[in-house]
Amino acid sequence: MSLLDVKGLTASYGPVPVLHGLDLTVDEGEVVVLLGANGAGKTTTLRALCQMGLVNIGGSVSFDGQRLVGRRPEQVVRLGIAHVPQGRGTFGELTVEENLQIGAYVRSDSEVRADIERAYQIFPRLGERSAQHAGSLSGGEQQMLAVARALMSRPRLLLLDEPSLGLAPLVIKDLFERFAELNHSLGTTMLIVEQNANVALAIAGRAYVLETGQIVLEGPAEQLRHNDAVRRAYLGF
Amino acid sequence: MLLAASVIAKVPGIDSGFFRLAFFLKLVSNGLVNGAVYALMALTVVIIYRTTSHLNFAQGEMATFGAFIVFALAIQQGIPYVFAIIIAMVISMVAGAGFERFLVRPVEKRSALGVVIVTLGLFLTLNAFTAAIWGTESVDVLKPFPGGLGDKFTFMDGPPQFFVTYKAVGIWITLAVLVIALWWLLQHTKLGLAYRAVASNRESSLAVGIPVGRMLMLGWAISAGIGTLAAVLISEQSNNLDFNLMGVVLLYGFAAAALGGFDSIVGAVVGGMIVGLVEALVPQLFTFIGSELSLAMALAIIVIVLLVRPQGIFGTKRIERV
Repeated sequence: MSLLDVKGLTASYGPVPVLHGLDLTVDEGEVVVLLGANGAGKTTTLRALCQMGLVNIGGSVSFDGQRLVGRRPEQVVRLGIAHVPQGRGTFGELTVEENLQIGAYVRSDSEVRADIERAYQIFPRLGERSAQHAGSLSGGEQQMLAVARALMSRPRLLLLDEPSLGLAPLVIKDLFERFAELNHSLGTTMLIVEQNANVALAIAGRAYVLETGQIVLEGPAEQLRHNDAVRRAYLGF
Repeated sequence: MLLAASVIAKVPGIDSGFFRLAFFLKLVSNGLVNGAVYALMALTVVIIYRTTSHLNFAQGEMATFGAFIVFALAIQQGIPYVFAIIIAMVISMVAGAGFERFLVRPVEKRSALGVVIVTLGLFLTLNAFTAAIWGTESVDVLKPFPGGLGDKFTFMDGPPQFFVTYKAVGIWITLAVLVIALWWLLQHTKLGLAYRAVASNRESSLAVGIPVGRMLMLGWAISAGIGTLAAVLISEQSNNLDFNLMGVVLLYGFAAAALGGFDSIVGAVVGGMIVGLVEALVPQLFTFIGSELSLAMALAIIVIVLLVRPQGIFGTKRIERV
């Protein structure tokens, strides 16, 4: 059984349908990429998985055997799904350290402090800036903070929404190397939504291509990298 | 300084008596006592505004109702003030949380303007409700602090005398204790951190698993509790307890919050003190400005400050890095 199993997912903002029956699975320990153009419904898919602010969600989503549709967002986090929203969504008025503390909001164990120290080891820049307000960090640092904060809930599944958005190419490369590292060392399962297909496919095991609210293509990442349609649409050659 | 004062004192239209030290200090301490109460009301405004971006126009009437509960318990039933105030604050907090959950939130999803109408409606309803139960006359005065003629610290023998009443000191201590408690709650507890996270970014708060709705209710609850405390102090300070107790006071509270910055706790306190001082000092210095105009004066100064610093003295300008 897959860790995340999505069947016939539909979602609409008011009367406007965005997703038309989407099927996808993510297995434990996998890195899966969801590719798609602007407006294909990538962000909506992630938001629907987290039960965030959509008017109507249909179909079935199960995570580790538990139904997700109809739950409140905080319950989804407690089940072990962490979401790094598009545009990072750090808490600008809180310090870096407070951002990490709040990332562990759903936990009540005594290892939060140790996990913050570990986050500083993985992302040394955050350690240097622990007392600074998150709003004063650079774009790349904010993205690292958003990821580190998501990891603080010790998620089994990490949902990343366009982590490369607005970052310089070198920063993107560094960031994705860290994702691969996290996947290897912690075994964190990841579902990454990206437009930057090249860098995302490089660390992924499998990929889906989303077009106007439907999955039109799926397969091993290596295979999609050599698919002509994907190359034309998302890889730029 | 003294020379400047003696020159200014000769300008027609300025009261030379203003510069007698004892008189001046009396005005300042009066201003700071009223200012402390305005600061409390500004706090109630700020605490709700930070997480919801709404102004609660019913704040004053909620507080008045709370003060009447204290009246019913302490004066009519004879329960000691401390317990009466605590019980009234708890009732207010529960009611405040309820208002958020069952009146504001259902409307908020549809339109932000709807919330304005709801709080205005709540204002009118509570006002009428209070009048219906306890009448429209002043019923009594709440006196949690000793208020006799001799209950004061005298610093300068007169004439004119300069003294500070126990009542005034009590109000300042109440404000100080409350601000310290709030600061501790917000900066040093997990609950406070979650509240600040919701104030900073509601969407991300959901993403980290904070029950955002409960934080909004918490804001309304704390705000309602502080409001009731403020209304009790105002009753003693103004020698009055009627159904319109908080009408003008809430306006001063809004003014103080605007001056300090709608999202700043420190700003609410400083803003309240400034408004209190302006109200006390300006009409005494410029005798051609009647004390009836002190509210207009306070508002004029606020307009000037906001023209220069729209976010208020301590407010944060919302900047987003993209």
